[in-house]
Amino acid sequence: MIKIPRVIIFFIILVLCSNTCFAEQNMTVAKNHYLSSERLEKQENFVLYPIKFYRNYISKADGYRCPMYPSCSQYCMEAFKKHGLFLGWIMCSDRLMRCGRDEIKLSPHVLIQGEKHSFDPVNHNDFWWHQ
Amino acid sequence: MHIRTPCLAYLFLIFFNLFFLFTPFCDSVAGSDPEPDIKSSIIISPDKQFDFAEAYFSNKDYLMAVGEYERFIYFFPEDERVETAMYRIGMSYYLGRHFKKAVDSFNAVIDRYVDTDLSIKSYFMISETHVNRNTFGPAIINLNNLITITHDEDVRDEAYYRLGWIYVETASWEKARLYFSKISAKNKTKYRLERLTSELNREKSIPKKDPDLAGFLSIIPGAGYLYCERYQDALIAFLLNGGLILAAYESFDDNNNALGGVIAFVEFGFYAGNIYGAVASANKYNRKQTVQFIEKLKSNTKINLSADVKNKGVCLAFEFIF
Repeated sequence: MIKIPRVIIFFIILVLCSNTCFAEQNMTVAKNHYLSSERLEKQENFVLYPIKFYRNYISKADGYRCPMYPSCSQYCMEAFKKHGLFLGWIMCSDRLMRCGRDEIKLSPHVLIQGEKHSFDPVNHNDFWWHQ
Repeated sequence: MHIRTPCLAYLFLIFFNLFFLFTPFCDSVAGSDPEPDIKSSIIISPDKQFDFAEAYFSNKDYLMAVGEYERFIYFFPEDERVETAMYRIGMSYYLGRHFKKAVDSFNAVIDRYVDTDLSIKSYFMISETHVNRNTFGPAIINLNNLITITHDEDVRDEAYYRLGWIYVETASWEKARLYFSKISAKNKTKYRLERLTSELNREKSIPKKDPDLAGFLSIIPGAGYLYCERYQDALIAFLLNGGLILAAYESFDDNNNALGGVIAFVEFGFYAGNIYGAVASANKYNRKQTVQFIEKLKSNTKINLSADVKNKGVCLAFEFIF
């Protein structure tokens, strides 16, 4: 019998779980969380490729299921663009841990295409140190 | 010659007929009636024009109201209601949420009329507009300017009261107390200062979470979230970080250094995210509690200070709390 290492099993579970978080949505409502300058966007482009790939190919097949607005993938892109690679990565990880849990009870709600989502943009999470 | 003469005769006949055919219509088409029918024309009086603008204003069609008030000012510049119309333009922009234009319009009233009721109200409305735009600095400056120029104690007291509330909005409790305390003794009852002060003193009892402590507790993954009363987030942070740390340890232990490195990199993000999230959660918790306190304070103690033109009157209201 083939023995699968526990590490591999853990990674498979992690990837499957993260799929539910990385659901894409169209940006239609929130205009008050802005994206940063074009220069920064170019700088961080290589970081955004995996997220863009996910949004364009995997999420479309997987379905849009993120209960937050903006979706986790959108949030991560904005965090990378606004705060760079290091803090973007930390904020992205933080969001993935919070997605769909206590934040749903605590954040204000918005209606996106008839569905209720928790409104949690980047500026709701960096207001205490970044204007 | 034989051919040309009949042609000219025909042409003459045609023109002659055409002339007589169209003569009766010419006057009406050209509108050149020598005696115009006065009864069918409309003469707009200042009253009619002002009432028309007021009708738009009361129907909440604010942009149309602005147009009609401007027409009133243009055609009847000597009318005594020009100041009211100018103020109404500002109010229309304010109620229509065109805040920048509202400030410009109220400033126009202040520039043209000095120390009148409406110019004073314009000062108040400018500060109100700035507060609505969350630009508290200009609102404070504007009210301080009013305090400097006015000699009326009631106006000064209202300015102090408004300044106090602006500082309440920004959670600057001491400054709020300072401005409320400047209100003269005769107006203390009007502004319900006794109750306001006692309610304001409760700000010390607003429940708060210490962001530093939340960050420190997050050394144990999830403990910071737990401190901020985010129990599900705490559990996920603990399990995820614990699992990744274990996975990294096992990978290195099995000499899978590359895999261990990748997992450790991912884990670093989640561990740091756990600390960042706990600190952010504490700040969000504090902000939410403060906002709730301010809202409660407003609903319990803030009196209505509408600066509208027709704000004088008696109102009887009942409130049932159930």
